[in-house]
Amino acid sequence: MSPPRSPWAGAAPGTDHADLAALLARVAVGDRAAFDAMYDRVAAPVFGTVRNVVRDPGLTEEVTQEVFVEVWRAASRFDASKGSPMAWVATIAHRRAVDRVRSEQRSADRDRRAASPMIAYDDVAETVEDNLDRERVRRCLGTLTDLQREAVTLAYYGGHTYREVAGLLGVPAGTVSTRMRDGLIRLRDCLGAGR
Amino acid sequence: MRIRRPEPHTLAGAYALDALDGTDRARFERHAARCRECTREVTGLREATARLAAAAAAQPPAALKEALRAETARTRQLPPAARGSGATGRTRPRQGVRRLGVRRLALALGGAAVVAAVTVWVTASLGPPAGQPVASQEIATVLTAPDAVKMTATVRTGGTATIVMSHHDGMLVFAAAGLRQLPPAQHYELWLIGSGRDRPAGRLPTPSHGMTGPVVTAGLRSGDRLGLTVESATGIRRPTTPMILELTL
Repeated sequence: MSPPRSPWAGAAPGTDHADLAALLARVAVGDRAAFDAMYDRVAAPVFGTVRNVVRDPGLTEEVTQEVFVEVWRAASRFDASKGSPMAWVATIAHRRAVDRVRSEQRSADRDRRAASPMIAYDDVAETVEDNLDRERVRRCLGTLTDLQREAVTLAYYGGHTYREVAGLLGVPAGTVSTRMRDGLIRLRDCLGAGR
Repeated sequence: MRIRRPEPHTLAGAYALDALDGTDRARFERHAARCRECTREVTGLREATARLAAAAAAQPPAALKEALRAETARTRQLPPAARGSGATGRTRPRQGVRRLGVRRLALALGGAAVVAAVTVWVTASLGPPAGQPVASQEIATVLTAPDAVKMTATVRTGGTATIVMSHHDGMLVFAAAGLRQLPPAQHYELWLIGSGRDRPAGRLPTPSHGMTGPVVTAGLRSGDRLGLTVESATGIRRPTTPMILELTL
């Protein structure tokens, strides 16, 4: 099994976006080889993101599969003027995972995760490996205030709503929503993502 | 007095993180459909969340790819969207004038108290109350304005006021819940406080079931604040008692 090739690592910024966008354009007209190539490029971020939110291995596979069926089905709706292809795929994946978890898993499992709010960040922080993205994201998360970082990671990796995050951190919901926005803006600028 | 203004623009971050559910998400999407800046911001923030996804990368089992081959083989693909429509997840039309039902009106104003107020007003509007006549068309204009902003504030003598305002149209909709009941000889009066003399901005109707309004105030100028006083006389030109609510618009 070859290591996942990151959509970000290596190539000059933009190149990979263009590659991936071109693949999606071919997927949109039913090109299976393009679908396979696209899958190889984004499967690891999608699977990892879904697993972070969903946790349960069986459910993770099921949701990941749903995500890719959706990408196959809706590839023609990808619009490069509204963001990068990776953001499009990641949005579908995260939204799907979060919706699934919210409808199915209101159990003790989630409460247990909720009790250790830093776990998601620690997961990122401690499994650096060779992943350039991970290293950069970890560094940029470190530039956020504690509250910003906790709000962002609890929402993204924990799949919690901002009201839940407010409850977990004992902070007013309005404050949490502001910190999420400020934190993401800072993260975006630190990563040089977007715009 | 506390001013709460978490609506809805500050939710862009939470939205990009999928940290809104149900009502909150729908509300933000309704707002974003008319707010180009919000859409642009979410787009930028999603590039950041995509990097969070990349950082979480983990290799899926090989069997997944095989399973997908079978799955896609029997999944019909969507045709390209009609021009101008959005990506996945946004199926509602972005533009277009829709009739405002009472429920939508109330939703746009938000809050159960205001829902009740609007309902009461609609019921009462078959025979409009004396004082400030309310035009549904004007309310709709404000609520659907692209720059509409909602604010909530506490009235010093009790009660909560909700204001939806459009600077572009120079109008605001005012509604309140739980205002202290006044003796029959007194009433609440709205004021616009600007650089010149305070301008009367409408007398609030008598509360019904604890709900007051909504009333529409037009003629907002840049830099205006909104004030509320208790007055005894009608037709006065300036406030005669201290402000019990003062809001920077």
